Amino acid sequence: MSIPGTIYGVVLNDAQERASLGDALSADPYKAPPQAPVVYIKPRLCATLGGAPVPLPRGEDRLRAAATLGLLLASDACRVSPDGAMGHVGGACLALDVAVPFASYYRPPIAQIARDGFLPLGSMGAPILPDEIVTEVDGEAVHRWSLSRLVRGPAQLISDLSQFMTLRAGDLLLIGLPGDAPLVGQGQTVHVRATSLAPIATRIEAEAA
Amino acid sequence: MNRTARIFHEGRDVWVDVSPDGESLLLPNGARVAADSAHWLPPVNPGASVYALGLNYADHNKELGFSAKQATPLIFLKGGNAFVGHKGATARAADANQMHPECELVAVIGRPARNVREADALDYVAGYTVANDYAIREYLENYLRPNVRVKNRDATTALGPWIVAASDVPDPQALGLSTRVNGVEVQHGSTADMILSVGGLIEYLSSFLTLMPGDMILTGTPHGVHFCSAGDEVVTEIAGIGRLVNRLVEP
Repeated sequence: MSIPGTIYGVVLNDAQERASLGDALSADPYKAPPQAPVVYIKPRLCATLGGAPVPLPRGEDRLRAAATLGLLLASDACRVSPDGAMGHVGGACLALDVAVPFASYYRPPIAQIARDGFLPLGSMGAPILPDEIVTEVDGEAVHRWSLSRLVRGPAQLISDLSQFMTLRAGDLLLIGLPGDAPLVGQGQTVHVRATSLAPIATRIEAEAA
Repeated sequence: MNRTARIFHEGRDVWVDVSPDGESLLLPNGARVAADSAHWLPPVNPGASVYALGLNYADHNKELGFSAKQATPLIFLKGGNAFVGHKGATARAADANQMHPECELVAVIGRPARNVREADALDYVAGYTVANDYAIREYLENYLRPNVRVKNRDATTALGPWIVAASDVPDPQALGLSTRVNGVEVQHGSTADMILSVGGLIEYLSSFLTLMPGDMILTGTPHGVHFCSAGDEVVTEIAGIGRLVNRLVEP
């Protein structure tokens, strides 16, 4: 699938992960906990639809498979209030944000996150916020998380971002990643599901030579 | 010299050819528009992936207190909201006292590039343009730095005026860059001082992703940090590529 706009995501929006990092966020190299939402951008070729396999890069054993929700902007959101934010969202989909595991949030980990096929998406549907997102690996539910863990919920996130950058119609916003996302390896199947949203079914396959 | 630009004309955006003397713009239907009266758009197609380099000139790195060469190239992406065309306006927030321009050579990709070697990489470049990629230092945070509040604000990445065909740029590593604020030169350098060359950047990026036609790489900026004010006219220029005008305005 092609997303017409920019694909944004945020890290450190999981309260549980923030708590587990604790004082590390006040130490070098960070020096202080984050104030603004911590945003990354995924290039357009990350996004896939319809169960395309996720390529496991040569030399890597495991990939982080973080299930999240993508919100598709239907109109430009510039300096919107939390109350008005969701009115700019026209669709939602499940997303599996894949990365080569990385340890630091100091620099953009582009070689770890910006790879072709590293964002399988479910079909776009109505803008529904599910209570819980479940990840199954080889048929077993290995991870589940609730949007109640978000430091900034979707409306607050859109509002806070829109104070300094316009989220434009056609942009996709991934609302946060669980800090305890599972690791998956070659040959494993990954399913992501949530009530009322189209599921994702994909598989980790060695990158073509 | 082959140059293409994107303008807003009679209700839509359209790509045009720039006449050899730069005075007029040729539309696909054969009509001409005077360059002076054109409404310039950033020469980037919506949806393109745009990569930007931090710390890719050794002299600039020293100026900012970083080591001359980073262990891993510092690369971030830009959203579509960030771009603004030639003669456009960029808001300078009231508290952005440390807002500075950055003149950068931009390589525009011409065909899909994956696992390309540096020696072959320039074959994958369609052309070059100029960027003025503003930064606002007081908004820096040490998370995915440079963070989006610094580098992805609306209309803070000026691009243009046009794309010069790669065939008209024999050596992209021998171009003089400069920035003038209200006519005073505040930044001066050469693409010869880039740490990773255009070819090296294509080799690095294409080692883990596919660069697509229309994607761009902003290749970093040399030293010369100069803080600007609303009302300033900022001109970034690269010899043989173009002269990009931007003005800073109150938000």
